[in-house]
Amino acid sequence: MIDSGIEQLRSMKFMVAQEYKFELKNDLSELKALNQHLNNWAEDINLPAISISRINICLDELFTNIVSYGFEDDLEHIIKFTLNADDNLLTINIEDDGIPFNPLEKIDPDFPDNVKSAIIGGLGIHIIKKLMDNVHYERKLGNKLTMKKNIQDKGGRRDSN
Amino acid sequence: MEILEEIQDNISIYRLKGRLDSNTSQKLEEKLFQAISDGSKRMIVDFKDLNYISSDGIRVILIAAKAIKREEGQIMFCCMRDYVKEVFEIAGLGSLLPVVAAMDDALKVF
Repeated sequence: MIDSGIEQLRSMKFMVAQEYKFELKNDLSELKALNQHLNNWAEDINLPAISISRINICLDELFTNIVSYGFEDDLEHIIKFTLNADDNLLTINIEDDGIPFNPLEKIDPDFPDNVKSAIIGGLGIHIIKKLMDNVHYERKLGNKLTMKKNIQDKGGRRDSN
Repeated sequence: MEILEEIQDNISIYRLKGRLDSNTSQKLEEKLFQAISDGSKRMIVDFKDLNYISSDGIRVILIAAKAIKREEGQIMFCCMRDYVKEVFEIAGLGSLLPVVAAMDDALKVF
């Protein structure tokens, strides 16, 4: 009876997802805090440095876009982050209460017709789509961006390249 | 991010230290564009101590490279760490930009 209990506990370790939530103000100065939170979470789940950097660049880009283009007033808004590690799967949600805005479709407003700048503007998005397995935007009461990344071999090696 | 400047053989060398992201990219942009408008035609950006670059940083690198080319100058990028190099490659810029492994390789070009 004790043995089956221990087995259950052991298997629960992989069933309980580890979730890290935090909030940032819509201000680019919060990028530092963003990095700090990401590092905290990464430490909790033993994420290697290269994965942290990859996720960091995606969050940087999305946060910057949301802050820059997602709000039409001068008020302070809260942007909510949920970082989830469930076995091999990392899921990251970013939610805000701004205007309907998909940060994946950002076009540089200064140069909407300038092809060269459009390429530069889309660079960050391109990088995100390459680094993440899956990125999805939806609009309900607010904006919600979800990114997923599967990291190999949680038991042993993990995304070490 | 710190930017250390030195001039060697008429080449402006910028050594970056720390993180190049939305917060710090403007500083680099101003520095490089100031140099370009002052007539600098030979530049090297040393990435050895840069441990992070975001797409805003890449943006600045890209526009600086285009700007100096327009002025018929040359800029070289060297000493990138693996992560930084990877980001450039994902961005499809690995072969488009003059990136070399070591400072010596960059100096040789001039």
